[in-house]
Parts: sequence; structure tokens; C-alpha cells
Amino acid sequence: MDSSLLSVAEQLLKDLQRTYSETNKVPDDLLIALRFVFGPCALQALDLVDQRSVTSVSSPSSRKAFQVLGGSGRLYTCFTSCHYCPCPAFTFSVLRRNESLMCKHLLAACLSQAMGLCQQEQVSDQQMTHILSGQTEAST
Amino acid sequence: MADILGVVFRRFAPGSGTTDLVFPSGVEGNTLVLGDVNIRRSVLFLSAVTAATDLGLKVLFFTQTPFQSLPVSLRASVPGLKLESLKNVKFVYVKTLEELVEDVASLHELASDVASPPSLIIVDGLERYLQGPLQDDPGPVAHVAALLHDTAAFLTQIQQSRADGQGLCRVMLSFQSECEGSRDSEVPDLLLSVLDRYLQVRCTFEEIAGQNEWQVYLSDTCPSSAHQGQQWHMGQQAGGVLEFRPVIGEGQQILDQRDKSKQGNESC
Ligand SMILES: [Zn+2]
Repeated sequence: MDSSLLSVAEQLLKDLQRTYSETNKVPDDLLIALRFVFGPCALQALDLVDQRSVTSVSSPSSRKAFQVLGGSGRLYTCFTSCHYCPCPAFTFSVLRRNESLMCKHLLAACLSQAMGLCQQEQVSDQQMTHILSGQTEAST
Repeated sequence: MADILGVVFRRFAPGSGTTDLVFPSGVEGNTLVLGDVNIRRSVLFLSAVTAATDLGLKVLFFTQTPFQSLPVSLRASVPGLKLESLKNVKFVYVKTLEELVEDVASLHELASDVASPPSLIIVDGLERYLQGPLQDDPGPVAHVAALLHDTAAFLTQIQQSRADGQGLCRVMLSFQSECEGSRDSEVPDLLLSVLDRYLQVRCTFEEIAGQNEWQVYLSDTCPSSAHQGQQWHMGQQAGGVLEFRPVIGEGQQILDQRDKSKQGNESC
């Protein structure tokens, strides 16, 4: 992975967070930059954000994770501390080919968090364990 | 270089004691240990013992098979070993990848109740959980490594939110990429590159043929770091005592470990 691209991506998300909290808009130049850094999945991720597909789940233990509802109706669990998504695109273009930084689900989770547009959901500790171990993904 | 293995090596270098040992507090220091089965199991065990006794930390040790005997002569390596401090090490025997993932995923459930959650999570021999079609699928490897990373980050947060604000949690995972008889030589590299995403320190043990001695390379795989590493020399003395010596001089700053592992594969 190109580390300079990663830091550009991090800076972009910070800019997005600041701009969006002030204006409630994503300005055009930021959109262009997002497309440049993340490729075609930037627009798909913004669609997921628009549809409020990202839920921040937390449990009484205070453990947190993201659940992203994909276009096919499948739920993908992403972690908050590192980049991982169980979808085929993440395995193929991020892990195998190393040609993208993120898949659309991960990017949607990052964007939703930066824009404050995550849905919030409380689950039990046991449900959180199932979510983290990937047992809930096929169930919707 | 801040990581738990650096502490272990210094602890078992000649002339050093236990007085100046501290758990390194750098933000990211999860470690991938590469080497042949026996030696890396010994090193994991020594790390568990050092963390539990000298540093007084809680250790979780996931492994597929129970230890039949102590892998290194513990009494010889650690003369002052107090047996009761070994109670800080909890061995968890898990047979399958699903069990391992579920056990790690459930660690948060107890974290807020217990007085001190684990500060070191060790996974011995990840490759043994990756049989059959899993051997060349990066997805499950990424899931378990990311889950370990996220769990350690969570447990670190829990410990730092407590009264003393001290403490953190690290992961140590050992893995052997199959070289001999591998159908596709790119597969081990792929799994290693996946593990490198989530484990920032890589430690490689290379046996010096037939001498009971090893070259040990400790390097940072995090892309934003300066790629500096350390080289150590490990010898196994009579009675099983492991001894480490830092290699000083030209070898101090070693090459990128990714190149190193490629060379290793070519020679297989
Ligand atoms: Zn995805």
C-alpha cells in the first residue's frame, strides 16, 4: 500500500469532517479529490452514505463496530481501529491486488463517521461477539 | 523499536537483569513471528513467561495443542522463576479457525468485569488453522488479524480509561508460510502481506544450519515508519537455555523484511 496516498486519504477525511460540520455540504473540489484518491468506489460509497447504510453498533462493554448494508441487502461488519471488510471487493482489490485503499463499504463507514451520518444501534455483548466474529453477515 | 520481543531479547542477553524492563508503550506494536515451528513456539512461550513474571502482565495464549513439556528449559532460562506468577498466563486450546475467531471476538464481554484484562494476546501457529481452501484465501486471514488488532485496541482503551491510566494490550502471532511443496509460491507472500497490514512488527528467525543458532531480524513493517530494524543472534545452550546477543555493526540496520522473505522463498 502506498503510504503517501493513505495520508492524503486521511487528510481528505479530516477536511470533509470540518467542511461538512460547517456547511452540511460536500463541496465539488472535495468530491473530485475523493474520486481521485478512491476511484469509482467514492461515488458508490457516497450513495451508501446518502441511504444511511452505515450503522455504528455498540454494546454495554463499550465495544464498537460498523455495520454497512450493501446494495444486495447483505450486512458487512467493519472494524473501527483498522481497515477490514468481508466483501469480495476488499479481498480482491485491496488484499490480493493491492490496488485500492478501501472498498465502498469501508469508505462509506469512514465518510459517514466524518459527516456524522451513522445510524446508532445498541446491541447486547453477546450480539456484539456474533457481529465481530462475522456470524451475522448472511442473516439479513 | 518498541515491542515486546525487544524486551524479551534484552532480558535474555548476557549481563542484563530484570530491573530496567518496561512494557513498551508505542501506539502500534503488534508482532508477527516467523520461523520454524519449534523455535518460534519456544520464543512465544518465553515471551509469555517474561510478560507474566517480569512485567506482571496478564497473558492469553491461544494454541491448537497443549504443551507436552516445557519448550525451553524454563528453570534454566529463568532461574528466579516464581511458579505462582505463571498463573498470569492462561492457555486456551482452540482447534479451528471459527473457535479462535469466536474466542477472540468474545474477549470484550469480560473486559470490564475482570480486575486486569489481558495485556498480551498470543496466537501460536496461525497456519495450522488455515487448512485446505483457506491456505490461499486472504479473506479469513485478514479477518482474524484485523479482529486481533481491533481487540487489542479495545483492551488498550479499557486499560487506559481506568484509574491509573496505564497499561495496553499487544498481539503476538506466529505463522509459518509453507515453502516446500507449495503449489503456488506467491501464496505465502500474499498471506504475509495481509498479516503485515495488521501486525506492525515482524520478527524472523533464520536457522544457521546445524548449529543450534539463529539469526533474528526484528523490523517495523508499518509503511510510515523509517524501516529501521534490529538484528539479534540467538543461541540455544546445553539444557535448552536460550540466549540472545545484539548484532552490532553493519547488520544493525537491516534490509526491508519483504525483500528478505522473497529471497527466502526463492531458495526453497
Ligand atoms: Zn466491502
